[in-house]
Amino acid sequence: MVGAGLSFLPAMELRSSQDIWVVIAAYNEAKVIASVVADVKSTGHRVVVVDDGSKDDTAGIAAGAGAAVIRHPINLGQGAALQTGLDYALARGAEVIVTFDADGQHRAADIAGLVDALARDRADYALGSRFLGTSVNLPPSRRLLLRAATWFTRATTGLNITDSHNGLRAMTRRGADRIHLRQNRMAHASEILHQIATSGLKYVETPVTIHYSDYSLAKGQTLFDALLIVLDLFARRLHR
Amino acid sequence: MIAQLLLTAMLFTILLYATMTYRNAPIIGFLAVIAAFGGLYFVWVPSHATRLAELVGISRGVDLLLYIWVMISLIMLLNLHLKLRSQLELITLLARKIAIADTVPGQPLRPEQPPGP
Repeated sequence: MVGAGLSFLPAMELRSSQDIWVVIAAYNEAKVIASVVADVKSTGHRVVVVDDGSKDDTAGIAAGAGAAVIRHPINLGQGAALQTGLDYALARGAEVIVTFDADGQHRAADIAGLVDALARDRADYALGSRFLGTSVNLPPSRRLLLRAATWFTRATTGLNITDSHNGLRAMTRRGADRIHLRQNRMAHASEILHQIATSGLKYVETPVTIHYSDYSLAKGQTLFDALLIVLDLFARRLHR
Repeated sequence: MIAQLLLTAMLFTILLYATMTYRNAPIIGFLAVIAAFGGLYFVWVPSHATRLAELVGISRGVDLLLYIWVMISLIMLLNLHLKLRSQLELITLLARKIAIADTVPGQPLRPEQPPGP
């Protein structure tokens, strides 16, 4: 389905919902990828799964579920997989690109809200926020970690956002063109926000629902991961 | 005197390395240049090294030189780490090109229904 206000989208022509590409970066997600792809495909949008060198049959299952599948020959990290998906979707003529997590914690129903927000607010980025929307089964320790990450991101990028590490986001073609992820691992979430801030393009936040399961929580980030992310971001600034 | 000449030769090598590094990693290059010049100065003016060492609580000038050398080694280690990251970026670009070239196309979507009456 195409959002009602899409004809107002700046600098893009959205002919149909097939101009919207959903990029799913996946690593060892054989257990859930079929249902995630099926959920997203039910929206009528194009889906590309970037299998980041999984050891299981993520790629085969995703292809069987009807997604286009790009397979990294080696594991490079979620940031690298997302950039691969963005490059591919742009090359295929995508007008809107949505990034979507592979672990089943996002709802495909939220995609319409993100795409509509791009049109309604004439923005180039619509960032999902679980703190404006709903978080189901979010543990208090994870909530605290996310709040700290958001505070850090606000302080370093100047973006006025409520949720800095939400993988559910939509961007126009023009917005995606400005994203060039060099952080292969988890620090890419902060890097995207930094690049959004420096692009000067408009962004909006949109309420979304994040549903935490035991499976997705086991794949989530710890406090130690957060420290590594900060170190990664610092190291990046030392080198051109 | 022999030790001074040896250290000077090594510190000049560091300076050369720092100059080459400066283009890709200016902060690292700058730090290495500062450390190498500091080392050269103290090698040839050891009395100042002793005075500065006493001032910062190290007691011996030669120990200060040793610390400077350790600092240079750490800077070079950091630079090696950054170079590895650059190599990884190149590998990423290569892997991405290969992966996109071998994409498995998705199943075609149902054609969109024309809007109802």
